[in-house]
Amino acid sequence: MNIKEIKSDKIDQKYYVIDHPTGLKIFVYPKEGFGSSCAMFGTKYGSINNAFSVDGKEVVKVPDGIAHFLEHKLFESDEGDAFTRYAKTGANANAFTTFDRTCYYFTCSENFKESLEILLDFVTSPYFTEQTVKKELGIIGQEIKMYDDSPEWCVLFNMLSKMYYNHPVKIDIAGTVDSIAKITPEYLYSCYNAYYNLSNMVLSVAGNVDVDEVLEVADKVLKKGDLHTINNHFENEPDEIVNDYIEQTAPVAIPIFNLGFKEKPRDISNEKDVACSDILMYMIASDSSKMYRDLLDSELINTDFSYEIFEGESFCSIIFSSESRKPKKAAETIKAYINSYKQNGLDKDDFELSKKALYGKNISILNSVSTIANTLVDEYFAGRDIYKYLDAIANVTFEDVSNCLSRMFDMDKCVLSVVKGQEN
Amino acid sequence: MKELQRQELFDCVAFNYITDNRFTTSLITVTMYMPLNIETVSEYSILVNLLTRTCKEYPDFTSMSKKLSSLYGATVSFDCEKVGDRLALRFNIKGIDDRYSFNNEKLSKELSELLCKIIFEPNVNDESFDEKEVEQCKREQIDMIDSLFNDKRIYALHSAISFMHEGEPFAISRFGTKENVKKVDGKSLYKAWKELIRKSKVEIYYIGENSPKMMIETFKSYFEKIDRSPVGLMNSPIKEHVGVRYKNEEMNLSQSKMILGFRTNCFEDEKTEIAELFMNSLLGRGAHSKLFNNVREKLSLCYYCSSRNNTHKATLIIESGVESKNIEKAKTAILGEIEAITKGEITDFEFNSTREFLVNNLYKISDSQNDIIDWYLSKTFNTKILSPQQYAELIKKVTKEEIVSVAKKLQLDTVYTLTAISEA
Repeated sequence: MNIKEIKSDKIDQKYYVIDHPTGLKIFVYPKEGFGSSCAMFGTKYGSINNAFSVDGKEVVKVPDGIAHFLEHKLFESDEGDAFTRYAKTGANANAFTTFDRTCYYFTCSENFKESLEILLDFVTSPYFTEQTVKKELGIIGQEIKMYDDSPEWCVLFNMLSKMYYNHPVKIDIAGTVDSIAKITPEYLYSCYNAYYNLSNMVLSVAGNVDVDEVLEVADKVLKKGDLHTINNHFENEPDEIVNDYIEQTAPVAIPIFNLGFKEKPRDISNEKDVACSDILMYMIASDSSKMYRDLLDSELINTDFSYEIFEGESFCSIIFSSESRKPKKAAETIKAYINSYKQNGLDKDDFELSKKALYGKNISILNSVSTIANTLVDEYFAGRDIYKYLDAIANVTFEDVSNCLSRMFDMDKCVLSVVKGQEN
Repeated sequence: MKELQRQELFDCVAFNYITDNRFTTSLITVTMYMPLNIETVSEYSILVNLLTRTCKEYPDFTSMSKKLSSLYGATVSFDCEKVGDRLALRFNIKGIDDRYSFNNEKLSKELSELLCKIIFEPNVNDESFDEKEVEQCKREQIDMIDSLFNDKRIYALHSAISFMHEGEPFAISRFGTKENVKKVDGKSLYKAWKELIRKSKVEIYYIGENSPKMMIETFKSYFEKIDRSPVGLMNSPIKEHVGVRYKNEEMNLSQSKMILGFRTNCFEDEKTEIAELFMNSLLGRGAHSKLFNNVREKLSLCYYCSSRNNTHKATLIIESGVESKNIEKAKTAILGEIEAITKGEITDFEFNSTREFLVNNLYKISDSQNDIIDWYLSKTFNTKILSPQQYAELIKKVTKEEIVSVAKKLQLDTVYTLTAISEA
């Protein structure tokens, strides 16, 4: 078994990467002096993977929302559910499904090995029957309805629906009440067998742990399965957007907006590229930026304002969002600022400050065992390394960031989505 | 975790610290307590925001943000929270430890000085804050009040609590009312600031790698200049129980919310407080709880159904998201679970897993700077201050009889429903 130590001299920390004989990649990040631990077991499988082929066979199309449904169902086994088993160890357990991954995790301060055994066991032991599938429809139906009442959720998916023609990122992670009604145990097994293959998964552990105890449990629970090659199938997505504006009325006191720029998917495994765009976004839109200040002063946003590089291997967009009493004006101002930076260039002092700030913020996250475990999973699926990313932030130049800006923000590929109240 | 050290600097001004090098950051917080009342709450909650945006040396939001960026993305944040009938105004500053800076800068010293400048040297002229900044904070405050309405879960909770505590100071929102926000100006805020630094009870916390000596001197030098006259902080938890009160609102939503409010009749007695905490978790806090397993999972009546207790106001609140047609059924089921506890129907599984859950959570606190400070702050008004570890030992001693006894004291006080209606 190959165990590799990865060290950062800069911050004097280290972690271990293990190639487990079962094909599973394992990360162990010990935190000296910590009493608690977090373990996260994830698969590179999310809501966008709704069409795929295994080992070059024909493409299987599955109902929307099935990855999230599968996450819920995996907690069950014929001996009861995983929460009940965790309850005996006292661990705090949960799971989440995003657009491109599904992760199961727990945090604990006692009984770590017992909890890890539960985690590895239930995720590798599927149990789906007609009856259990039917029962879940009610619970997930309620969850979908809760999101329907969330203006933040609506404003995002409305925006995505006008940004993407075909890409499944525009579909709600949980699917719809109609789409999940089509889910059967057979569909669940076929997704499970494809994506919950250990070579498509990662285990990341951080905190009061050492490599030996993690391996002891992994060796005991995990079995080598057949390895498969999965090909995700995405319909061709045009570069253009569908429409540049969408609006919805809902019971909200202040309108909210998402302004999204459709970008070409890029190689997300390149630490330097990601560091560049992160610094760039900080320069343009963080709360120390000129634009933020101007938007706030002109009462076009409030401190709820945020921005995000929303991306995965097959999609990329930049999203600005805020509550605003004048969303159209806010969007115009953001676009004007970006245009002006594109024409007149960025500010060098802003660059130095943003670089320092971003570096500090990334050091700060190494305080929390759950953030470390989560970040290791994210970085692994993206093909990046957490320390190389930190180094990249420290080493990026002003020219790198300026070049990055010139490739981004096409004003013809920009969508404004607004959710407002009847009276607004 | 090392033990908390405490030093009384002046009457009602205490400096608490833990020197700890396990974290990558330093965290300093100053919490100032004032009586909660409808006349001043809007001023104070605006003030705490206003103060963290600027100071004499960094007189506008952008220069302050730039200063923070130069301190490696240090963050200043604020909180305004009701602690029974008191208002807690909290100022936080967090930044990376000195050893992670590029050139071994003395960051923690700078952080404490900046926090003092924020609190004690605000940007005031002629006994008034800058009206433009004030207007912006007022607008944000109004937005904040309005956006409570956007999140229906929070909206329902707020409405229920304010209905339950009608006529008490606790019914007031921590943001105050829109009407009172509009009356605030630079001069009134200046007066409020003077009152705050003179009259509040102050708890300072520092957790980081350095000795707090310099910091203590810095804080002392600022407090020395103030003519302090601390105010009494009253809290009256007991309201006469007048039977169950009902309130219903209707809204165009897809999911209804139901909040049940109880009086616990347990107050400021450590032993019952711990039993109460145990009972609350067994009933509805965590995946081991009766509400989660029986009402949500087995009966599929709610998407969420959980309980929380407030020891300062001696209340227990159960919140749930339900379909309109199931409101009555869910209510009966929830009340049934409480009745079961009063009858001693507590399985060994429920009892043991609640204990494990609570103990695990308490042990975990020591791994987070924020959680450690939150923990001790939550005990500010307790006669005896216990560490999370000491508290965990007491949790282990709670018996089923004690749980039954506190459950029997629960009195249903309020039934609040936000009923979803579909537009015709």
